[in-house]
Amino acid sequence: MSKNMKRTIQLIFVVTIMINNLFAKDYYIYCTAESEDEVALIRFDGKVAHVEKRIPVGVWPVEIEGPHGISVSPDGDYWYLSMAHGMPYGHLYKYETGTDKMVDRVELGLFPATMGISNATGLLYIVNFNLHGGHSEVSDVSIVDPDEMIEIERVETGIMPHGSRLLNNGLKHYSVAMMSGELYEIDAMTMELKRTLSTSPMKKMNKHSGHNMKGMNHSKMKMNSMSHNMPAEKPTWVYPHPNDNFLYVVNNGTDNVVEIDVNKWEITRTFKTDKGPYNCEVSQDGKYLVVTYKSAAKTGVWDLATGKELAKFKNTRKVTHGVVISPDSRYAFVSVEGIGKEPGAVEIFDLKKLKAVTIAEIGKQAGGIAFWKMDN
Amino acid sequence: MKKIYTIVFLLSFTGLFGQPPRSLNTDLEFVFEHPLLLHRLDSLSLNIGEEASVLIRLVDLKGNQVKTTFMIRGQRKAIVAEPRRSDTTGVAKVTIKALDSGELNLRAMAIGKKGRTVGALKINVPLIPLEKITFVNPIQKVFVGTSVKYSVKIFDKAKRIRKNMNVVFTSSNNNVAEFDNFGNLTINKPGKTTITATVDDIVESLVVSAKKNPARKIKFDISENQVRTGDVIKLNATVLDGRNKVLENIPIVFSFSGKAINQTDNFINNRSTESIGLPASGLITQNGKFVAETAGIYTLTAQSSGFSASKKVKVVPRNVRKRLEVVGHGTISNVNTSDLWVWPGVGKHKGKDFAVTGTHSADGEAYFWDISDPANMAIIDTIKVDARTVNDVKISEDGRVGVISREGASNRKNGLVILDVTDPFNVSIINEYNDDLTGGVHNVFIYEDHIYALSAGRRYDIINISDPANPFRVGSYELNTPGHSIHDVWVENGIAYSSNWSDGVHVVDVGGIKQSEKSRAKNQFNPFLALAGKGSPGNPIKLGSKEDPNGHNHAAFPFQSESTNKFYIITGDEWAKAVPGSPERIFQGGFHFLDFTDIKNPVETAIYQVPEVGSHNHWVKGDTLFAGYYYGGIRVVDISGELMGNLYAQGREIAFFKGVDPDGTTANQTNVWGVIPYKGLIYFADLNNGLWAVRLVDNEPLGTN
Repeated sequence: MSKNMKRTIQLIFVVTIMINNLFAKDYYIYCTAESEDEVALIRFDGKVAHVEKRIPVGVWPVEIEGPHGISVSPDGDYWYLSMAHGMPYGHLYKYETGTDKMVDRVELGLFPATMGISNATGLLYIVNFNLHGGHSEVSDVSIVDPDEMIEIERVETGIMPHGSRLLNNGLKHYSVAMMSGELYEIDAMTMELKRTLSTSPMKKMNKHSGHNMKGMNHSKMKMNSMSHNMPAEKPTWVYPHPNDNFLYVVNNGTDNVVEIDVNKWEITRTFKTDKGPYNCEVSQDGKYLVVTYKSAAKTGVWDLATGKELAKFKNTRKVTHGVVISPDSRYAFVSVEGIGKEPGAVEIFDLKKLKAVTIAEIGKQAGGIAFWKMDN
Repeated sequence: MKKIYTIVFLLSFTGLFGQPPRSLNTDLEFVFEHPLLLHRLDSLSLNIGEEASVLIRLVDLKGNQVKTTFMIRGQRKAIVAEPRRSDTTGVAKVTIKALDSGELNLRAMAIGKKGRTVGALKINVPLIPLEKITFVNPIQKVFVGTSVKYSVKIFDKAKRIRKNMNVVFTSSNNNVAEFDNFGNLTINKPGKTTITATVDDIVESLVVSAKKNPARKIKFDISENQVRTGDVIKLNATVLDGRNKVLENIPIVFSFSGKAINQTDNFINNRSTESIGLPASGLITQNGKFVAETAGIYTLTAQSSGFSASKKVKVVPRNVRKRLEVVGHGTISNVNTSDLWVWPGVGKHKGKDFAVTGTHSADGEAYFWDISDPANMAIIDTIKVDARTVNDVKISEDGRVGVISREGASNRKNGLVILDVTDPFNVSIINEYNDDLTGGVHNVFIYEDHIYALSAGRRYDIINISDPANPFRVGSYELNTPGHSIHDVWVENGIAYSSNWSDGVHVVDVGGIKQSEKSRAKNQFNPFLALAGKGSPGNPIKLGSKEDPNGHNHAAFPFQSESTNKFYIITGDEWAKAVPGSPERIFQGGFHFLDFTDIKNPVETAIYQVPEVGSHNHWVKGDTLFAGYYYGGIRVVDISGELMGNLYAQGREIAFFKGVDPDGTTANQTNVWGVIPYKGLIYFADLNNGLWAVRLVDNEPLGTN
C-alpha cells in the first residue's frame, strides 16, 4: 500500500468517524412509572433505547405516591415531578438532572398532574387534577416559582383540569378540564383567567363562551355547587403549535382532536381519531401532530398540512399515555402504561421513516414523559 | 494527521444541542422605591393585614429608565401584589398586602432579547402581635416551704394560642417567694407578692398570698412492696398538721432513686449482692404513680414543706418472655403481599379455616388460602381484578361476603370489589363499586352488612351490602379541618374508630348499641357505648376524638383492658425518617395508648416503640397486643394492668419473630404488614414472602428477662 493510499484510507476513516459523531445523536428522556414510584432515564442512540437509571421517588418506602407529570427546565438543569398522592395534597418535586438528586418540594393541591414552564416568566404552571371523589369540584392551576419552590398563586379553572402547556413565547398558558369540557387561557404574567372555550366541535355557539373573564368575580359564581352534566368531550390535553397561532385539544370522550385558532378563539379543524385519544404533541418543525390513543392502544401521526393521518402504530401494550417529540422533529417517544404488573414502556417512532424503532421497558404504569437533551 | 485525530477526539465529547442557554440579563436591574419620597428601598416591614405601595422601575446600569413591561408577583397566602404587570413605561406602582408572617419577597421580572432580568424587595412581616397572657388554673394561696408550678397561655390578636414562647416569671417580693427559671415559685415566708408573667411587652399579674405552713409531717404509703417491671404503683401521700389533720392544699413532690439488679441477684436486707451496673430507670408522676423499667431496689420519696418520707420497693423482672415457633408458612415469591384476613368456613366448609391475602404493587390479585391445617396452608383460589395493588382485604362476620380494595386500575376507576366467599375454593366476584371512590380505596372494613371504605384518603363512605349485588352508599364521615386526611377505619360494636394522621383518632357512633351504665363490668365497659344509640350507618355521629400532634396516626384499635377498669384506644404510627446523606428512608414510630376512660379528657399514658424500626398494623386480643413491625417482624406485647411510660423499656415484649424466606420477593428479609391472632395461633402477612402461622410457646422462657 502506497503512502498516499494509506493516508487516504486514514482520512476516510477519520471523516467517517466525524460524520458519525456529528449525526449519531443520543436522546435522553425522563419518564414516570406511576405505580412503581420511579422515574426512568432513557437514552436512545438512534437504534436502541437504554434504561440508564431507574430513580426511586417519593418519601414513603412502601406506599405508592404516584409520580404523574414531569417536565425539564428550559435550561436542562432540573426536572420537576408531580406526585399525585399525599395527605391529602400532592407535591411538586424538584430534581437535578444528571445527578437526579432531589432538591426541594412544595405542597400543592389534590392530585397535581401535568405542568409546563413558561419561557417568558420562568414560572411553572401545574394543574391540580383532583381525580378524587364525585368529579364535581372545580379545581385550579397552581403557579410555582421553580427556583424558590414556592407557590405563588392558584387560578381556578374547571373540574378535573388536565394538560398544561404554554405558548412558545411563554405569555399564555392553556389547560383543559375533563369534566367541564372547556379550554382555559391564563395570562402567564398577570395570572388571570382570560378566556374559555368549549372544546366541542359540534357547538354552534362555540364562541359564546369565549368571553373575556377579566373583571368577573368567580367567588360569587358558586362553581363548587354547580350541578352539571359531564361533557361528552372530556378533553385531556392541549398543545400549542410552534408558531403559537394554533392549539390542539384532545377530546378523549369523543375521539377527536380539535385545532383552535388562538387569535380567532374558535375551532378551525377537527381530526377524527381512533378510540380514546389522550395526549398529543406537535413537532418543532410544525409538520406532525402525534396523538396517543389510550383506549385503542395506538399512536397516530398526523400531517398538519393536509389534516391526514400519515401512520398509526399499534403499541406493544394497552393504555397508551403520553408523547414527547425530539427537538429535531425526528422521533416521537410514547409512554404506554400497561395493565396490572405488566411493565410500562417507552416506545420510539421514527417520524421521518414513519416506523417503529424500538422500545424500553420501565416500571409499572409509564405516564408522564419529558425530553431532557440531545447529545452527540 | 495528529490534529485531525485531536479534532475527532474532541468531537467525541458530549455537546448539548437544542437547549436554550441560561439567560440572565445583568445589564438591567429593578429599583424598588418609596412611591412618594422616591428613595430606594432595600426592604420593607409590614404587619399582617397591612398594605403599602412600592414603586418599581426597570433601569439600565446607568440608572436610565427602560421602557418595557414587566411582571410583578408576591406569594400565595403570604403577599398579595397588584397589579401583576406593569405598563410599557417600565414603571409600576404596586400595592402589596401582607397575609402571613415571615421573610417574604416582592419580585419583579422582565424578559428581553438578552434574557431575563429579575429583582426582589424583601418584605419582613412579623408574627401577629400578642394580645394577652392568662394564668392556667393559678393558685393564689400558697404555703411556706412549698414550691408551686405556674403556667400560662399566650394569645395573639387573632385569638390563636402561641406556643414555644419565652415566658419570664417574676415575683415582686423575692423575700416572700421567688421563681426559678422554669416557672416554679418557691415560698420563703408569709406575706403577699405579685407574680408577673411577661412575654415581649405583654404582662399578666396575680397577687399571691403566702401563708404560714401548718404542715408538721408527711404520711406516705405505697400500694405494693414488690412489683414487676411495668407494674404501676400508686403512691399515697398526705400532709398532716400538728393534730394529724390532713391538709389538702399543700403540694407534694414525688421522686425516686434506685439501684438496678439482674435476675440472678440475691436480695439481702433489700440490697443486691451483685450489680451488673445497669442504671435503675423508671417513671414517676406528680399525681402519684411510679413504674420501673429495670429490676432493682427503688426508693420512692414524697416531699412537702420541708418534710419527707420514703419507701423502698423491690422490682423484679416481668418475665413474660416466650418463644414463637413456626407452625406453617406459605411462600409468595413473585409479588409483594399486603394485608390479610382469617375466618372460619361456613356451610359445607364449616369446620375449616381460611385466609385471604392481598398483593401490593403487583397484578391486582387476592389469594385465598385453606389454613385448616396451618402446617400445610395452601392457596386454593385467586381473584384477579384490574388493579396494581389490592391493599386491603376483609370478610364479613358471617363468612360469606368479602371485599377487596383497588388501587392502580388501568382505567383509573378504582374503588372496591365485592366477593362471594361462601366457597373459598371458588370465590366469585359479585360486583364492583367505584362510585365516588375512583381516587383509590386504601382500606375497608365490613360490619353488619355495610362496607366502610376510605375514599381517596379524604373520608370514609358507608355502603350498604345487604344485597351484595346491589350496593349503595348510605352515609359518609368526613372531617372539616383544613387539609384533613384519613388512612384507616375500624368498626367494633357499632362504633367506628378512624385514623386521620394529624387529626388523630375519631370515634363515631354508626349504630352502637347503647350500654347501660348499670351493666358496667370490669372488663366489658366501653364508655363510648354509654353514649351510643343515636348514630347509624346513614347518620354517623362523632362521639370523641384526640389529635395526634406528630401527624402519624395510621391505625387505631379499641382496647377494653381485661385486667383493669380502663378503656384505651391504641393508635399506631406510620412514618419514615430520612437517613442523613442518603435517599433512603427508614420506618419509625410505634403505638400510643390513649386512655379514653374519661372520654372528654383522653390522656396518652404509655407508648410502645421499638427504637430501630417502625410500626404498621396491629391487633388486640385480651390483654395482648399483636403488632406488625415491617423490618422488625411481628411483636407480641403484654399490655395487662395499668399502662404508663415506655412499655418496650419495661420488658413487656413477650416475643418477636422475623419471618425470613430465601424465596421471598426480597430474600431473607422480613417486612410484616398485618397480624391477626386466631384460634391460638398468630397469622401474619409478610410483604416480602407471604403468609405465616406461628404460635407462642409458653413453657420455654428465654434467658434472663
